[in-house]
Amino acid sequence: MAYKYYKDNRTYIEALKRTGDLIEITDEVDWDLEMGAIVRRVCEKKAPAVFFKKIKDYPGFTAFGAPIATYRRLAVSFGLDPETSIPDISKEYLKRTMGEPIKPKILDKKDAPCKEVVITGDKVNLFDLPAPMVHDGDGGRYIGTWHFVVAKDYDTDFVNWGMYRQMVYDEKTMVGPVLAFSDMGKMFYNKYVPRNIPMPFATVINPDPLSAIASCAPSPISEAEFTGMLMGEPVELVKCETCDLYVPAHAEIIIEGVVLPNVTLEEAPFGEYTGYRTSPRDKRTVYRVTAITMRKDPIMAISNMGVPTDEGQLLRSFSLGLEMERMLKDQGIPVTGVFMLPESTHHFVVVGVKPIYANIATQIGQLVFGSKLGPWFHMVMVVDDKTDIYNKDEIIHALCTKCHPSRGIRIEEHGVGTPLNPFASPEERLYGRAPKVVFDCLFPPEWPTSMVPIKVSFDNVYPKDIQEKVLSNWKRYGFKD
Amino acid sequence: MAVYDTFISKDFKDLAEDEEIIGVIRDLTPGKSKYRGKYAKFVVSKDENKYPERLWIRLGRGQLIEKPCSMKILEEINIFPEGL
Ligand SMILES: Cc1cc2nc3c(=O)[nH]c(=O)nc-3n(C[C@H](O)[C@H](O)[C@H](O)COP(=O)(O)O)c2cc1C
Repeated sequence: MAYKYYKDNRTYIEALKRTGDLIEITDEVDWDLEMGAIVRRVCEKKAPAVFFKKIKDYPGFTAFGAPIATYRRLAVSFGLDPETSIPDISKEYLKRTMGEPIKPKILDKKDAPCKEVVITGDKVNLFDLPAPMVHDGDGGRYIGTWHFVVAKDYDTDFVNWGMYRQMVYDEKTMVGPVLAFSDMGKMFYNKYVPRNIPMPFATVINPDPLSAIASCAPSPISEAEFTGMLMGEPVELVKCETCDLYVPAHAEIIIEGVVLPNVTLEEAPFGEYTGYRTSPRDKRTVYRVTAITMRKDPIMAISNMGVPTDEGQLLRSFSLGLEMERMLKDQGIPVTGVFMLPESTHHFVVVGVKPIYANIATQIGQLVFGSKLGPWFHMVMVVDDKTDIYNKDEIIHALCTKCHPSRGIRIEEHGVGTPLNPFASPEERLYGRAPKVVFDCLFPPEWPTSMVPIKVSFDNVYPKDIQEKVLSNWKRYGFKD
Repeated sequence: MAVYDTFISKDFKDLAEDEEIIGVIRDLTPGKSKYRGKYAKFVVSKDENKYPERLWIRLGRGQLIEKPCSMKILEEINIFPEGL
């Protein structure tokens, strides 16, 4: 049975308009910094998404900014009420992605909106697309900020969708970081590069919101099938013009081509999800373009990474945390919830657990740091099942009262990190190394019961009947909430 | 006079003047193709009037040096394999 969802950005934009989560700007805006500045401020103020109706130098184009930078918009993208709580959005994600993967459906090209305009050969020119200069000082115009790259494994049928940023270099060239531990990095560096074979790719700009969420979720399931699970029915794909890859038929703009083995070009710096420009200008992976296809009146996309909260933080925190929860439960750990704070730029995760045996916090740290998800974060805080993992006051209280300043902090020096970590030394960034830390905020289960401190809170130190009486009279006493 | 910029990973004081440099420069001509990259062999001077083109320098994390340099492009270099 299909869930409620939006097949393309146009219906999603309409939905955001209805819920009061969209601002339309009809003044002409400049793709060179002005659009970026507006979207940056939108992210910092947690303001509505923005739909730019007129872009300097690019008549016929519009642009959609900060598509899913709030939990309200995340709820809307799942077809839920915008007021849905974070735990309830999380439950919806876990429910939809529990069953069997759903294979995509292939559409005829004539039925695919992303083929309304087809440009190949000499006519291909990336500067005909309004790629924004997102932040002053960036290494170039980033055409891929809310998009994903489709690529197929060399010797299996596995197809990956991953959101890997892409900068315009010239008319037919893009460049971007493809980290060695990413799914596309493993395919490209392990299989295509040693054979010196170009790897076909297709960049999907402004996909429907659920395909975008799937592309940045660290699930082991092929993202096209994972999207089908989120939709409750097959995602509709269409074949590319110049290679054998398939792309979402309802996306706005598709860029096709090949990733060049053994050729690199300077890319970055770029405002990153950590809220800093950290990774240096360096030689990175090169994409040569063979075709551009798009809808009529195409909508460009712009996600603006910087200080919280943008898509890079919100969506990645959401899916990293939930995939971690699934993985820990699969391992039989009595986890009661996992919440990764977007404000931590997905570096800090809170795990709730029933503390039934000694050192369970260490075990949780080892499992999550040792998993495929591990390189993207370095702080795990483990709390008991009575702590509200979504409540920052409770988290700080637990950290400052239950975590022993020496025994409770477990450091692993030799973890896998990314070049994007602002705290890392230049050498650690270069080699992708990062230490990891577990904050054990559990009272050790071996302590005698009489020695365990009792939490002094309304719901813990009063009998149920007194609590109920106070709660039922609360407003009558004159309190508001 | 065309206007370009480039990024350097070292300190500005260590920028090599009047020596051939090979790297990416960005064309800052206003319009749709602004920021187009070019792989080139060029020479730079901190004297903004020595060479025909203007060159702005940015450091590794995008910091702009306030005073422009001048530059001469000696050769554009194609780094892409034939047919790709
Ligand atoms: C807006 C946005 C931009 C991102 N840019 C990159 C990037 O440039 N490189 C990267 O490795 N991951 C990036 N990510 C994270 C990837 O989406 C994430 O690693 C994704 O799950 C791909 O994972 P996979 O390689 O495991 O398939 C970005 C995420 C978002 C939301």
